[in-house]
Amino acid sequence: MFNKEVILPFLKSIETFENHNAFCINEHFYTYKELSNSVTKVRFALQKEKIINKNIGLVANDDIETYASIFAIWLEGCAYVTLHPKQPMDRIMEIIDQAEISLILNSSTDLLFPSIKTIESKNLKSGIIDNLPKLTDENSLAYILFTSGSTGKPKGVQISRKNIGAFMNSFWKTEIHINENDRCLQCFDLTFDVSVQSYLVPLTKGACIYTIPHDQIKYSYVFGLLEDYKLTFATMAPSIIRYLQPYFDEINAPNLRYNILTAEASSLDLVEEWATCIPNAEILDFYGPTEATIYCTYNKFNRFGVNKQLNGMMSIGKAMHGVKAIIIDEKGKTLGANKKGELCVSGDQLTPGYWKNHEKNSSSFFTVEIDGSNTRFYKTGDLCYIDNEGDILLSGRLDYQVKIQGYRIELGEIEFHARYFLKKINVVVLPFINKTKNTELALFIENEVQNTDLLIDYLKSKLPSYMIPTKTIGVSEFPINTNGKIDKNLLKLKIGK
Amino acid sequence: MEKSQIKDELDNIFKKIFNNETLEISENMSANDVDNWDSLSHMLLITEIEDHFSIKFKLRELNKMKNVGVLIDILSSKLN
Repeated sequence: MFNKEVILPFLKSIETFENHNAFCINEHFYTYKELSNSVTKVRFALQKEKIINKNIGLVANDDIETYASIFAIWLEGCAYVTLHPKQPMDRIMEIIDQAEISLILNSSTDLLFPSIKTIESKNLKSGIIDNLPKLTDENSLAYILFTSGSTGKPKGVQISRKNIGAFMNSFWKTEIHINENDRCLQCFDLTFDVSVQSYLVPLTKGACIYTIPHDQIKYSYVFGLLEDYKLTFATMAPSIIRYLQPYFDEINAPNLRYNILTAEASSLDLVEEWATCIPNAEILDFYGPTEATIYCTYNKFNRFGVNKQLNGMMSIGKAMHGVKAIIIDEKGKTLGANKKGELCVSGDQLTPGYWKNHEKNSSSFFTVEIDGSNTRFYKTGDLCYIDNEGDILLSGRLDYQVKIQGYRIELGEIEFHARYFLKKINVVVLPFINKTKNTELALFIENEVQNTDLLIDYLKSKLPSYMIPTKTIGVSEFPINTNGKIDKNLLKLKIGK
Repeated sequence: MEKSQIKDELDNIFKKIFNNETLEISENMSANDVDNWDSLSHMLLITEIEDHFSIKFKLRELNKMKNVGVLIDILSSKLN
């Protein structure tokens, strides 16, 4: 499936469209020929190395070498683990350590790993090799992405070749048609799995990808790309649209054919208003946890009719082809229509599990017998119900996770580091909506604190920037509710005072 | 309003938004030079500047703002 859905279409694009543009990065165009040359160079360099561990570290820069490295790694039968240059070194080293990385591909010189063998992918010499992929088992890994973990350590989600093959197969069944003339947006960090959809869809069809340089303000740059390059296919988080909302009257992008909204719930009001800015686009909302490979349900926005919603958020629609979705109660019993419970998904897109994390694997997955065969499910942690027509409505998170700018964050991870720094002082992190209607984080400290600069500096050395609280509030004693737990609703009232 | 006065007033807004009393703006300064200057703080910064000077930016103007110098130029042309 991986070869049929990913490798062969990619090699075909390179062969058929060698003079077409494959990338526009920072206003510079690269053809498929140039991409292919870059892939060959990285493969040649990889072949000279003795591969001890198939998990190859990849520094996630915004350049042609980084994207070429992904395909070189796959053609060599290995998996990539993204290391983000803007994340703190402690976190990067933790990931390298967990994934047992012994070889890194790096296209920049800003970030150095003195203790680990590194291939500098810029200025590599050309070598002559054939384009054939190494024979690789479908169950071997394609990538491992590390997400926030409540124990204070990031956890790795393993995605196999079979998983990606199954995803691409289901994706095309949603009747999105992309061809070599399309101009497609890639606005996601490579540490986030929607990036995989954003580069695979164009590259397997011979289309051109437009990226966002890391030092740019994303929403503003996205608007620039829509306007200057007349993009035809764009996947984005609703937060981008929320940022653009004050300027909707200036935006008119009639060339956009498809707009995928994903990574967080889509507000129906916002989408209805946004739809007038992209009059010819089909708008689709896709939902899915990293554990089920990028997306597993989708819903097409109806411009002229009624759209299902819950609490103002668009329905996440129905399961994609090959995915089964069920709702279970606290005891694991499957619930019928219109009953709220935890959404669970199964199918070939399901991860083989967390990387070397037995405890999490036994708590997050379970097997039930359906139609006489054992089916493995992942518990998404999302509270949902399925209506009489089979559409899924998302009500919120069951646990203690929030999404900031599309990133899934365990508040427990931030609290863990803050508590460590403050010794025994208790802390609580809560999300709040600011006046521009975006989510920010507030850190409550059970102590009348004066200066939190050192604490924030410490957090910055441990966590990516989107996890750093923007407000710190000292409280002499945390309020307690009738269940004896910290009353987070009362704490929330202190925000903005 | 004189550009120097705009710059002084912007200086205070930047200090407030980025929560950094020692931050001094300069014409060549861009998002790359300031810690935490991302989409979220950019939005808050723009909103604060609009409220302070009682003006409204167009998205096309925001897109041209490659650095603080351009921001001052655009503000100056809107205020005069």
